[in-house]
Amino acid sequence: MRTLKTSEAAAELNVSPNTLRAWERRFGYPVPMRTEGKHRIYTHGEIAALRDALKEGLSISSAISRAREKLTADTPVLVGALSSCELERADAAMEAALALRSVERSVEEVLLPTLTEIARRHGETSAPWAFATQWATDWVHRARRLAPTPVGASTVLIGDATRDELDPDALYASAFSLFVERTGARVLTLPVAGVAGIGEVLANFRPRAIVIAGSAASDDVVARWAYAVRSAAGPLPIALYHRGERRAARTNGTHVLPLSPSDAQHELALLLHERRAPAPLAPLRAPAAEVATLHRSMRAS
Amino acid sequence: MSRPQFQLVPGHADREPYVSFCGHCGVRPLGGDSSSRVCDNCHMGMIVSAPESLAPEEHEAFLIVDGKLQVCAVSRRAEVLLGAPESDLVQDRLTEVLLPADGDAAGVENMIATISHAVRGQETFDDLVVRPAREWGIRWFTRVGPCTAPSAALIVLDPGD
Repeated sequence: MRTLKTSEAAAELNVSPNTLRAWERRFGYPVPMRTEGKHRIYTHGEIAALRDALKEGLSISSAISRAREKLTADTPVLVGALSSCELERADAAMEAALALRSVERSVEEVLLPTLTEIARRHGETSAPWAFATQWATDWVHRARRLAPTPVGASTVLIGDATRDELDPDALYASAFSLFVERTGARVLTLPVAGVAGIGEVLANFRPRAIVIAGSAASDDVVARWAYAVRSAAGPLPIALYHRGERRAARTNGTHVLPLSPSDAQHELALLLHERRAPAPLAPLRAPAAEVATLHRSMRAS
Repeated sequence: MSRPQFQLVPGHADREPYVSFCGHCGVRPLGGDSSSRVCDNCHMGMIVSAPESLAPEEHEAFLIVDGKLQVCAVSRRAEVLLGAPESDLVQDRLTEVLLPADGDAAGVENMIATISHAVRGQETFDDLVVRPAREWGIRWFTRVGPCTAPSAALIVLDPGD
């Protein structure tokens, strides 16, 4: 995907960089990504769509509205392709989406809304849903193979608490895992149902945070798994992702990540960053006691 | 049988000069780089042009409507009068935003005809009396005429204050 710096994007649109920033504030468009140095970068497709719309438009609002329409045109195509089980057309729709957006935005703005729409139209027990989830999971796996090689010390253990591949939360969990990997972190996903031998695995893979993703597994199963992990790896921060709204009210220090995979990834990054920074000394608690607290609060909720 | 008669029609030389202005703040650009269609003053409007006697003054309330009679641009002052930001109004049908103030059914057709003529470039400016589509008790005198580019109609509202 081709990206443009602010000055390049402004030149392409024949406006000043200040104008671009003013549009971002007022209209939320174009949406820049950030480099590691926090500089704005724009996808070429988004800028090109806006440039074309500006040529014909009578106002910035209408041009932005047209450019947005052009960008959202991929979702209906993908819904149509997956509803009629056309693999090649579905692949082409995602390729078109990737030409205009980053992987993260393609997943959030095209892939996930498409699956939501298919569930709404056909139901989560239908054949189109099964076909669509399998295709989407495969697509995310392919994208994960293209993720950069892990760098740095960030390692995240994801406890998979989803039912199976057809669980709507499973695709969110896969997308979240993909986004975390794309930041250069190493991710290991283990099912929360499996506790045997977990110590040996964690002896080599030393996680810095645990995320429990999905709401299908019971609180008992999750607490048992979290206990086993913390017994092997020490007291690590635990975050919950797509673990159900009723659990969001907990106050025992467990982090509840936002539903959007990219927002969740950002929050996890902050959590890992905070862990890296020296923190004021707090009374030590045994991992078992902390997990027991978690367990109790889960039962209470 | 009467003979056909020639009629004097205005030629290009008689055409009223067009002036450029920002479709959002109404400010007229000061020469300089004319290749950019985006207003240097407010950054939120595109530079359009209209006959000099029709073109709004800075901070006047106006709307620009396209050939489908959809709202394309709303000036900053019109946003205040209509109580909605431009982004909420663009692509709305004009009749969802403004209606003739006389309440006569033919009034709507008359308004649509006037605006359609303006979109086609007719340079005789018409006056209409309109009101916000969802409100009564308010009426604004307007002047309507052509605007480019692309072809559109410019509706300048006079709130009378």
